[in-house]
Parts: sequence; structure tokens; C-alpha cells
Amino acid sequence: MHQNKKRGIIGIVITIVLLIIIVILSNIQTNDLSFVESALGKLVMPIQNGMTYLKNALAGNDSFFSDINGLQEENEALKEENSQLEQSLRELEIIKAENETLKEYVNLKDKYTEYTTIPAYVINKNISNYSDEIVINVGSKDGVEVNMPVIADQGLVGHIISVTEDTAKVQTIVDTASTLSCTVSTSRDILIARGTLEAESTLKTTYIPTEATVLQGDNVETSGLGGIYPKGILIGTIESVTNTKNVTDRYATIKTAVDFSKLETVLVIQ
Amino acid sequence: MKKAISVVVILIAFLFIYFLQSNFFSWFTISGISPNLFIILVLLIGLFAGKRLGSLMGLFFGLYLDIVIGKNLGLSTVMLTLIGFLGGCFDKTFSKESRLTIMLMVIGSTCIYEIGYYILEIIENSIYIEILPFIRILSIEVIYNSILTVILYPCIQKLGYLLEDIWKGQKILTRYF
Repeated sequence: MHQNKKRGIIGIVITIVLLIIIVILSNIQTNDLSFVESALGKLVMPIQNGMTYLKNALAGNDSFFSDINGLQEENEALKEENSQLEQSLRELEIIKAENETLKEYVNLKDKYTEYTTIPAYVINKNISNYSDEIVINVGSKDGVEVNMPVIADQGLVGHIISVTEDTAKVQTIVDTASTLSCTVSTSRDILIARGTLEAESTLKTTYIPTEATVLQGDNVETSGLGGIYPKGILIGTIESVTNTKNVTDRYATIKTAVDFSKLETVLVIQ
Repeated sequence: MKKAISVVVILIAFLFIYFLQSNFFSWFTISGISPNLFIILVLLIGLFAGKRLGSLMGLFFGLYLDIVIGKNLGLSTVMLTLIGFLGGCFDKTFSKESRLTIMLMVIGSTCIYEIGYYILEIIENSIYIEILPFIRILSIEVIYNSILTVILYPCIQKLGYLLEDIWKGQKILTRYF
């Protein structure tokens, strides 16, 4: 009996450790593991390099020594070219960064100043894995009403679906029951985006009009149709466009500007 | 008196699970999927204290969850009541002695709860049906719930038999002695 009990406790401890390992492994990003990758790489790379060198030397044995003068010249020329390319790349990077900041400034800062907003904290989230509602700490006492849009500093969050005196429930745009009308900022085509179960912080647009141009990396903002969301609030960027055999079946996924897993503060637009 | 105390203990357990679920398990997830401890709690109440208390508690907890954090009234209410009732039915057909049967019951009721919840949500909100992502979420949740059952088993067993003593003990006495 005593042994049995002991074995049970060991089993439970092992299960807890296993659970923790599963949770950590399943949530870790491959980028975070780059130090392990480089350490493992260091272990095999010298041998790999040596092997490749040997293979090349054996394969091109006869031309190995004869080409060496020509190679030196080529090497010089390539080095020259490389430094020139690097120079222009650096200039482009600077221009790109400048462009990004200016775009951000024009897109976000100016737009949100025209609304009066109520700041709020996220105090609760729906526990279900299929729904994405959040509860915020402002209510009818602070002037919040049903159907008011909610934003965060990065972009659109959702709208109020119910209000109590001190709290309000927000249906986020990534909820599977949410559908919203949006415009592609470059081509001004109107799309319908809905929440999806596939991944957090992504929306899916289906029934894209055949003549619409939807490109990866385009910004998507609210269209103002539907009556809840005002026009021009940033929703996110188009992450991918999947083309199918039939052009009417193509769909695009939108990466939302707001990271819903880390959402803490929001603004309710009055 | 003992019954009243046991109900209070169950309510405290519910609140404890509620805070655990909305804080700890919102980040302690398996690839973004959190477990559902309410299913385990309601199933156990049904299993050890009988159909009636099980479905009553399921109804109450479901209503609470729907009102406080849900989108529509009724989804969790209906499903948790059903799980409480099912717990009572399982009691007659399965043994509660072994870890495996309890685990299988948790797996079964998690599947029933989640599939029912999803179907109700499709009907109520006319959402776009996504079968593959749903199956992925369901299977991770089932695995997570069963791992938690293994960890919580000794606690489940002890509290379960205590509950059974309080809610069913007297009945057996009058019937057999």
C-alpha cells in the first residue's frame, strides 16, 4: 500500500514535469532557440566545412591550382562591387526607416486625435477556446454604451456588446462571430473580414471581388460601412493571399495590428 | 448541515477554478489552447453527488460564466447542465475506482461539451464552420484536460468520496438496513 502510494506521487510529479515541458515547448518560438541552434551548429560546422572542402578539392582536382590567379582577380572585383552594394543598401535602409516613421505618423497619430476616448484596462477574457471576448473596467458610469468601437494604440480591437455599471464586454474582431467591412489602403477595394479559429490575431477575408487587387503587405483599415466602426482605423496588414483555381474562391489572411494575446489597455471611442 | 457545507465548498472550488482559468491558464497553455476545468468539476459533482446536484450546479456555473464573460446566454449553461447530468449517468455504468475510467470519462465529456458548444455557437451566431482548426483545438484541450486529471486524481478521489458520503450515504442506509 505504502509503495503504491509512493509510486502514485512519483507518477503525478512526472506528469506535472511533462506538462510544464509541453507548455514551454509548444509556446516557444523558433527564434528564441537561435542560441541552441548556433551552439549545435558550432559542433558540426567545422567538420561539415572540412568535408565540403575535401569533396570540392577532390572533384575539381585538376583545375584547382590553375584557376587560382584568375580567382584572385575575380575576388578583388567582387569585393569592390560588394562594398558598393552595401553602401547603397545602407542608404535604402535609412530611407525605408524614415518612410515607415512618416507613414506611421500620418496613419495613426492624426487619425485618433479626432475622437474622444475613454481609457480602460482589460480585466477578464473569455475562457472558451473558440470565443474572444474581453471584459474592460469601464461601464455605463463612465459613459460607455453598447456598439461603441474599441481601439488600442496599434489599431482596432472590437466593439462593446454589453455594459454594466462598472464593466463592459467587448467582442473583439478576431472572435469567430465577428464580421467587419474593411478597405485595402492602397487600392481602396472593400473586403469582408471575419475572425477565425486557425490562429490568434488573424482575420480571414473570403469572397474577394474578382477585380480587386489584394497584395501581401498592404494595410487594411475600417471602411466605415456597417455603422459601428468609424472609417479609417487601422486593422492590420495582409499577411498572405491564397490563390485558388477559381478566382472567386481566393482568400487572404490579415495579421491584426493589435496583438490580442498581449492586449492590456484599450480606448473606447465615444 | 453537511450538505450545505459541501455546497459552499463546491462554490469555493468553482471560484478558485474561475480565477485559475482566467489568470493562470490564460498564459500556461499548450500552443495557445487552455484547458477547461469547469467540465471536470461539474462531471465530478454529477459522478459523486448524483444527477440532481450535478445538473443544478452545471446550470448555475454555466449561467454565471455566460453572464460574466460569455457572448450569448445559454451556451455554457446548456452544456454544463448536460455534463452534470451525464456524470450522474456515468456513475451507474462505470467504476470510479480506477484512474483510467475517470480519465476516459473526462475525455468523453470534454468532447461532448466542446462539440455541443461549437454546434450551439454555429447555430446562435451563424459563424463560419472550420472543421480542421476545431479538431485541432479540441484534441489539444482533451489532452490537456486528461493530463490535469492525472495530476488531480488523488484530490479528486478524496473529495469525491467525501461528497458521495454526504449526498448518497443516507440513501443507502435507509435502503439496505
